[in-house]
Amino acid sequence: MADVKLSGVHKYYGNVHAVRGLDLTIGDGEFAVLVGPSGCGKSTLLRTIAGLEDPDDGTITIGGAVVNDLRPRERNIAMVFQNYALYPYLTVNDNIAFGLRARKTPEIEIRKRVGEAAEMLGIGSLLQRYPRQLSGGQRQRVAIGRAIVRKADLFLFDEPLSNLDAQLRDEMRTEIKRLHHEITTTMIYVTHDQVEAMTLADRIVLLRDGKIEQQGAPLELFEQPRTGFVAGFLGSPSINLIPATLKINGGGAAVVFESGGTMTLPSAKTTSLTSAEGRQVLVGIRPQHFSRAGGGSLRDGVVAYSAVADLIQPTGTRTFTTIKIGGVDVVAELQAHDVSRHGERIDLAIDLNRVVLIDPASGLVIA
Amino acid sequence: MKVGKLPARKVRILGLRYLGATVVTLLFLFPVYWLFMISFKTPDEIYHVPPLWVPAQIQFSNYYVLFKDGDVVAILNSLIVAGVSSGIAIVLGTLCAYSLARFGTGGENLAMWIISQRMIPPIAVVFPIFLLYVHFGMVDGFFGLILLYTAFNLPYVIWMMRGYIVDVPLELEESALVDGLNRWEVIWKVVFPMVRSGLMATSVFTFVFAWNDFLFALVLTRTEVITFPVQLTHYFGGQSNFWGKIAAMSVLGTLPIFVAVSVMQRYLVRGISLGAVKG
Amino acid sequence: MTLATSLNGAEQRRPSRLGRMLEDRLPYLIVAPAIFILLLVGLFPLIYSLVVSFQRITMTDNDTSFVGLLNYAELFRDTRLWASLGHTAIITAVALPLELLIGFLMAQLFIDRLPGRQLFVALLVLPTVISPIVAGATWRLMFDVRFGPIGQILSFFAGEPVRILWTVNPAYVYPAIIICEVWQWSPFMFLLLLAALSNVDQSQLEAAEIDGASYLRVLRAIILPSIAPVIAVACLIRGLDLVRIFDIIWALTEGGPGSMTETISLYTYVQGFSQFEISYTAAISFLVIALLTIITTLVLKRMELAR
Repeated sequence: MADVKLSGVHKYYGNVHAVRGLDLTIGDGEFAVLVGPSGCGKSTLLRTIAGLEDPDDGTITIGGAVVNDLRPRERNIAMVFQNYALYPYLTVNDNIAFGLRARKTPEIEIRKRVGEAAEMLGIGSLLQRYPRQLSGGQRQRVAIGRAIVRKADLFLFDEPLSNLDAQLRDEMRTEIKRLHHEITTTMIYVTHDQVEAMTLADRIVLLRDGKIEQQGAPLELFEQPRTGFVAGFLGSPSINLIPATLKINGGGAAVVFESGGTMTLPSAKTTSLTSAEGRQVLVGIRPQHFSRAGGGSLRDGVVAYSAVADLIQPTGTRTFTTIKIGGVDVVAELQAHDVSRHGERIDLAIDLNRVVLIDPASGLVIA
Repeated sequence: MKVGKLPARKVRILGLRYLGATVVTLLFLFPVYWLFMISFKTPDEIYHVPPLWVPAQIQFSNYYVLFKDGDVVAILNSLIVAGVSSGIAIVLGTLCAYSLARFGTGGENLAMWIISQRMIPPIAVVFPIFLLYVHFGMVDGFFGLILLYTAFNLPYVIWMMRGYIVDVPLELEESALVDGLNRWEVIWKVVFPMVRSGLMATSVFTFVFAWNDFLFALVLTRTEVITFPVQLTHYFGGQSNFWGKIAAMSVLGTLPIFVAVSVMQRYLVRGISLGAVKG
Repeated sequence: MTLATSLNGAEQRRPSRLGRMLEDRLPYLIVAPAIFILLLVGLFPLIYSLVVSFQRITMTDNDTSFVGLLNYAELFRDTRLWASLGHTAIITAVALPLELLIGFLMAQLFIDRLPGRQLFVALLVLPTVISPIVAGATWRLMFDVRFGPIGQILSFFAGEPVRILWTVNPAYVYPAIIICEVWQWSPFMFLLLLAALSNVDQSQLEAAEIDGASYLRVLRAIILPSIAPVIAVACLIRGLDLVRIFDIIWALTEGGPGSMTETISLYTYVQGFSQFEISYTAAISFLVIALLTIITTLVLKRMELAR
């Protein structure tokens, strides 16, 4: 059990500045997910924590002790790799026991721990097989088992599910979440998949260009993104961004789209915008905030909008419909049977209470 | 393969290809056959005009002569020289290759220099080496030949093993480092088992190269450590009366190679193409 | 919990200071022995040889004074040297394309599925792994005018006795050498080309078949470009071997008749070990190295371009 502190960590690869002065604290027992697009430095950061890379500057603390000068094997961490990293010439049993043997753990203790881990992961019947005789999901379980038996202070996961097909990935995600509930070790998990990040994390650390863009609980990032990048990265389908101009009149505010059309913003959004008349913004509306207008009066902050359905993509439970707002293609997520054919005119209600306004120049969320 | 289910045209083409393949194979194996056959002939059969294509019976007097005269010691010498030098080259070369593959030691330049060592024609170095060996009294001794073949094979081993090691997923080593091994243990417990087949294949090839070498052996041996190719040339002369010995010695010097290479069939292409083609 | 803690404590492995140092220096420590041997046996003689090549040491005269480029100047007047280079060039120029062509044709025979292919391939590679000196000896037996099968076979086809002194008759020594060389090394080309042809993208071939392209077009547009890198490597390896050809000729003709089949390697050997022209031999060695370096560099350059 240990907390992890990074302060002022820099890492260069030649001319590439992969990690740029990063500060991060992960609490004891926390499940932290490092997420971001490829090349954002998340894997580098994880490898630096593991000791597989040396930071060029800054300190790394695990469980209160600075580990910069410690080898990976001296940090008492366990790591699960993307390609499982199983030794093809060893049986499942020997693969799981590998780290314990390397540390000269008594053979009785090894057998006990391997047995426990195998049972926890449901791979007890596979112990005498070789990795090549296993399916992808089974291999991943073995890789996790190898980490569990170590009873390490800290678990590191480097995109462990990205080689699995979609269905297995959902299954293993659930298992990893359950695993964390059972062993409550601090875990740091790297992924580029925002769904994994949202579902697994106690805390998401969203990285961009080697820096932390925003960190916090999953729903906090989703609902209160600090930048347009965060708003765009989380959520699927991703948030719609529509260029517009702010118009302030009296106590209220509205956005005027470039190709005409105006939407009045809810009053809660306008308080900080009183002096922003004429300012260019990107209006961010999540697809989930659209619905078919049911007639009757609209709630406060909900506006009516009539549009022509262009592309229709049913997923079974929901139907993604492309419409135009302010001349821009926008995806609306509707009920499965809300819209049936291309060209159909539909009356929509757009919930603007959770709209985000983004300054296009700085990328920051201003309201 | 169910030939019966193929259309007639395909059967004909397959038949023709078999015929072609058989003819070509016989053509290429005929000299080998001739060599083996002569080694089993009696002198009368060897010097028969017109030549006999099959000996009346298989008999081993040609081999017996080699054993009786002690000429087979050349085979033993070859075994020692090729075996020991391959062993050393494999160990040192693989370690060096690991460093090149994983740490990029010396960069591309060192790797290129090493492979360029392989390109240098033996004839260009054999003379100065001979002079140096004379100077240090190393001519006609095991040590000198083994040292030479080790050096001769090192670039090959380094080059080949670098390729095999690069193919080992880095994550396997990193996982072991996290799990508690140090670098030396990683080489021994992870890299070695992973490249075991490549290592075997490379050993076979280094052995074959040393075994087959003629020029270095010709220059650097006199009487003490004559290797089999040199011994073989001693039977050449204006007269052809040593044919039985030539054939028998050639067979003795060829059989081990055939066996070794047959075992390594899967790695043959990669081995002889210096790793350029991964069969 | 206390048990687990103490066990985890025991699992911590802190290496000694020496162990740590050995691990830190590992990249260099494990390179050093191999490099040392290569320098000792590879580079040291070259340097020694370079020095000697500027001196005037012969069998009778151990004159270590420096004579500048005298030996190198003499190279240009040495007609036997240039003749030997010519012989080497002829053998290379004839044997290399022949091996490539025969190897390619052989590969064509085996490229499609052929049950038992493994066995054929295993048998066909045998000539390539034989010691060249044995290959030479074998063909010496094959070519023998009285007891060899070649004359007998030729007589059978000609319908009259054919008596050719393959290894002595000036008209036939080159064919003899090239037959032996091609016999031994065509299978080498065959193996590499077979592997390369098997790696040609099958979907491209199928697409071409659907488009109705002729075989020659497919060969030119798809197959050759995709196996070109392998051909280049194979030619480089074999080319370098051919330029230093020694064993086969030693076994077949020993450079004769006269010095008619004397290649550069044989000539260097004669100068060094029969004439004991120490300094001059060193100069020849450097000429050979220079020539090979130029050729190799040119070939490698072209290969880079082709990539």
